[in-house]
Amino acid sequence: MAITPKAAVSARSGGARTLSRALPGIKVYGIALSVSFGVIAVISAALGYSVPEVLRTLVFSSFRSFAGLKSTIKICIPLLFTTYAFFIPAKMRFYNVGAWGQMLIGGAMAAVVALLLADWNLPPVVLIPLLLLTAILAGAALAWVAAYLKAQYDINPIVSTIMLNFVAIQSVSLICTARGFMDPTGGHPQTKLLPSNATLGFVAGIPYSILLAALTILLVSVLINRTRLGYEINAIGYNPVAAQSYGIDFRKTLMLSFCIGGALAGLGGGLEILNIHNRLLVGFGDISGLEFGALGILATLVVGENPMAVPVSCFLWSVLLVGADRLQRTMQVPVELVFLLQAMIVLLIVITRAKLSAKR
Amino acid sequence: MLVEMKSIRKVFGEVVALNDVDFSIEKGRIHGVLGENGAGKTTLMNILYGYYQMDRGEIKFDGRSVKIHSPQDAIRLGIGMVHQLSTLVPEFTAVENIILGTEGRRLSFSIGGERAGILKLCEEVGLSFPLQVKVRELPAGIKQKIEIIRALYRGARLIILDEPTTFLVESEFEQLLKSVKKLIDQGITVIFITHKIREVLKSCDIVTVLRKGKIEGQIDRSEMDREKLVKMMFIEKDIKITESALPRVQLPDCPRSASPVLSVQNLSVEAGEKGVGVYKVSFDLYGGEILGLASVSGNGVKELVRALIHPSLVKEGDIRVKGESIRGLSTLEVFARGVSFTPEERVQEGILIEGTIKENVLLGHHGEQRFLRHNLFINWEEAGKAARKTIDEYGVYTPGEDFLIKRLSGGNIQKVIIGRAFVSPICLLVTHNPTVGLDISSVEFIFRKLVEIRGHGDAVLWVNEDLDELMMLSDRIAVLHRGELKGIFQRDQFDKYQIGLAMIGA
Repeated sequence: MAITPKAAVSARSGGARTLSRALPGIKVYGIALSVSFGVIAVISAALGYSVPEVLRTLVFSSFRSFAGLKSTIKICIPLLFTTYAFFIPAKMRFYNVGAWGQMLIGGAMAAVVALLLADWNLPPVVLIPLLLLTAILAGAALAWVAAYLKAQYDINPIVSTIMLNFVAIQSVSLICTARGFMDPTGGHPQTKLLPSNATLGFVAGIPYSILLAALTILLVSVLINRTRLGYEINAIGYNPVAAQSYGIDFRKTLMLSFCIGGALAGLGGGLEILNIHNRLLVGFGDISGLEFGALGILATLVVGENPMAVPVSCFLWSVLLVGADRLQRTMQVPVELVFLLQAMIVLLIVITRAKLSAKR
Repeated sequence: MLVEMKSIRKVFGEVVALNDVDFSIEKGRIHGVLGENGAGKTTLMNILYGYYQMDRGEIKFDGRSVKIHSPQDAIRLGIGMVHQLSTLVPEFTAVENIILGTEGRRLSFSIGGERAGILKLCEEVGLSFPLQVKVRELPAGIKQKIEIIRALYRGARLIILDEPTTFLVESEFEQLLKSVKKLIDQGITVIFITHKIREVLKSCDIVTVLRKGKIEGQIDRSEMDREKLVKMMFIEKDIKITESALPRVQLPDCPRSASPVLSVQNLSVEAGEKGVGVYKVSFDLYGGEILGLASVSGNGVKELVRALIHPSLVKEGDIRVKGESIRGLSTLEVFARGVSFTPEERVQEGILIEGTIKENVLLGHHGEQRFLRHNLFINWEEAGKAARKTIDEYGVYTPGEDFLIKRLSGGNIQKVIIGRAFVSPICLLVTHNPTVGLDISSVEFIFRKLVEIRGHGDAVLWVNEDLDELMMLSDRIAVLHRGELKGIFQRDQFDKYQIGLAMIGA
């Protein structure tokens, strides 16, 4: 039997090709991680710290105790939401750098509604979905502004989302210090505690919000890989001109992807307030001085295209953040060292990836 | 010998683009490099110009062995190249474009002084063009002259013209030829890359024929004839070739439908970013008919085609498909009426570059019920089936439907684009330059497909800049100039010169 060209090509495409496809990926992450950790080792040695101790604390703090794992998960959940907020529009090659603001406004609006409805004594099954919906709508609304400015006036969303971040930051401060909301006894700008029917609890020390995070992972993966909207988002990312020539509505898709991203960030913010802080406070969108929006961008940049890789990436960033915190507390190693490490990892991954793909 | 290239080898991935090619150029002649698309002509010249690095081989310039690592190296040696697509900055004037990149040697310079130098140069070689007009407003023929002067201004003694006639009509080609002859008189050497035998016969002192990355032979003007060149270009193919080196495909008699499939009535469209709009254009296109639409690029054809599939762009007038107006419909709704489309720029407008073949075949059909579940989810099984059917029917050379489309060759990409147009039943195909840059067997495939659609009683609107192609396979040819319809020629009135004149508005 004659071998058709098609068969000949596919015969070669077995295990060998899977490996040769995976290899560049392994190479990228291998180079980036080993160089970054190498530099950290050199710097910490120069500063007089024990290198093995620093590296061990940094990488294994999350896994050496249940408390470590719990704090990792607590960081990972909001980070997951802000990462998706960046990831989904980034599929279209549009950059929502406003996940931070969308998270803040989501949390703020949830807190405001909870405090306003405090006297109604609604049952939690009604109140909590209502508050989360508020957070979702608030986040989506803020992202919608940026998308509308792009669609209508061609204003770069990077600019508008950064500006809207300031709006959100100042709104949080304003609410935290507003009469009626402010907690006069706190030494920090924050509101009164939310009524108990508005808050979510923990199971074995892990916040209930993890359930919504898990559901989100599933839904985003379906959205990107299975739905018509996901196809349209991908198509515009692959080639906006061809996508529009063949009938994909650019504006509608842009609006939807931004609003979905904003909604997720808002939901993340709402869950932080209802589940972790139980009140609105200034700075709830930060972790060790880094904001979740920017962290979400980093977490997206290192994974590339696959939505299912996002949770993995978020978890690993959280591990590093917990390790950083622990380094600072137990060894007095400045946390900035770890931020340096993170920045280097991202840069190196992006650079080596670009170099490798340029070679091909 | 001005240039000697010895045992040049260049491999792209798994494709051997040049296989031990020996090529030399004598001073002061027009040297043709002939071959069909994919033969390696442009690759060879891009190596000489420093765009690509050869894998193996040697280049001698003026008898000295040289290493050319970049176009800067080539320019320093006195080699200039005019690419198929203009590389001028559209927002700059001719003078600004010519001096761009040369002014860096000094701290200050005066545009006036440079302009005088350029004028003198133009006079010497007998080229003239407006110096102070933004390049974007100039026609393709003038842009080419500017690029030639730009190369000369940088001291070029050898000028490579890469498929210079692609965007020129016949009379512009004659003009280019005149300019080139003047360059030769000045002692400059010209390399003329082309895939058209007719142009070689008309212009070249000597021609080198390339086929599949190898030199097939070199012929002097005195021994050149059509039969010989055809044989060298297409040695093993059993495709019949016409006078203009096109695959010969017959246009059989075919009944025309009683009522038009497409009726464009008094159509006006706003001008796009570049070029002109469309003004009060009317024509009918019947089933069982191929209507050629001939026009020089930038004369409103693009806008006309866009309006057909994006009716929201229609400013005035009406477009009717099978008697029903499509004004106000979305693109997907137009497709649902049986209109199908293949765009001008294969890669830039036609495909999802980073996507798979399956994702690309689905494009434009993603609103059809058979590819959807509950209106919300994509039915990827159906999409996969459609993609496999396209791959099989159109002979796309690929390991499977999940293969990235950017890894396919131009001809295979075009097969996917054409195949996609027939995933669902159609009554009208709008196709824009479908054969550009394809090898002869792919061109023949597309020709046969157009005739086949016509044979089914469906209509084809065939936008093309190549009159030879249009005249071979159109029932009628409509000519658009500056957005206005200059006339419709019946098949028995086809005359290349007359149609060419209409295309440039004379």
